[in-house]
Amino acid sequence: MITVAGIKRVLPHRYPMLLVDRVDDLVPGERLTARKAVTANEPWYQDLPEGADDREHAYPSVLLVESWCQAAGVLAAWDLPNPDVLTGQVMLFGGIADVVFHHPVLPGDVLVHHVRLVRSFSDTVIFEGEAAVDGRTVLEIGRVVMAMRPATELTAEQPAVSTKEIG
Amino acid sequence: MSNVVLDMDELRTTVADVLDVDESELTDEADFVNEVGVDSLMAMEVMVVLERKYGVTLGEEELKQVTCLKKAHDLLADKLGLA
Amino acid sequence: MPGAVSPVRGRPEPAADGAGTAAVLVAADEPVFPGHYPGFPIFPGVCVVEHVHLTALATLPKPGLRLAAIESTRFLSPVFPGDRLEVELAWQEKDGAWRCRAVAGTARGQAAAVRLRFTEETEEGEL
Repeated sequence: MITVAGIKRVLPHRYPMLLVDRVDDLVPGERLTARKAVTANEPWYQDLPEGADDREHAYPSVLLVESWCQAAGVLAAWDLPNPDVLTGQVMLFGGIADVVFHHPVLPGDVLVHHVRLVRSFSDTVIFEGEAAVDGRTVLEIGRVVMAMRPATELTAEQPAVSTKEIG
Repeated sequence: MSNVVLDMDELRTTVADVLDVDESELTDEADFVNEVGVDSLMAMEVMVVLERKYGVTLGEEELKQVTCLKKAHDLLADKLGLA
Repeated sequence: MPGAVSPVRGRPEPAADGAGTAAVLVAADEPVFPGHYPGFPIFPGVCVVEHVHLTALATLPKPGLRLAAIESTRFLSPVFPGDRLEVELAWQEKDGAWRCRAVAGTARGQAAAVRLRFTEETEEGEL
């Protein structure tokens, strides 16, 4: 089991985008089970109009995917933890495929992520799996590709603010 | 001998779907990266999908040599003992 | 209505000519940035997908469609605070499901290629 403090040593993500609360089971290089509790108190609910019904409290679909991918990130990074994005290598999201949303996820649900390593190459890892609530599959992940790249690939991209733009 | 059928057109459909391109762009010789405009990450992803679809396992180096549909077909055929 | 709860605050504005394009400023005070990542803000890839999703919801070919799947997404280049994100999408119907194929880009070029699938609100969507 890895507690949230342990997760923070491995993932650079922080509030409000740290979407994995606990890792229940981890077999390095193979699979992982992790969980995230969904609550109505997350920042995304701040702008919800008064009187919204339960359906409108459905957790954002893309954040279900982000939460699952962060769980996969723990599995990927367990061998090479890199919480400091600016120095070492950084895990870039290469792509997603065949992600299916089966049921809405609501405040009070606990998302249980199941992540399996499909293939790992020298600098690329591919995962698959699903997420469930109370044993019912709510999200299916066909394929997520993550690539380890030198962090400079990100910093080099940073737009240089030319004097023209400031002027 | 494996009983898996390795049909070129089915291969083209599968690869086109993974690369998110039209099948018409995917001739047998069209280079995934240079001509179809796909990055190396995607080319590798294609091979992993094919590995699982045809039940074969490829080495990372073997996989990196596959840069067009014909090479994918020939490598799979070889692995499946159909060559 | 779907898309009410979203990780992005800025909402894409569809172009008037209804050509299936929309644009949004990725403001520096978007709620995700403090945690993604501290001292190194990068717009999360899934938030680029969310802007495609919101643009799709704003240009639905028929009412009552909801997001059923992300068929494929390729992240091509990072998006930073202050970038103007342009989304260009096209709808296609095939055997009963509606597919939305989109490209999102910034001044520096393509950021992501996204293919989403939408279906009618089915009972599966109920609570």
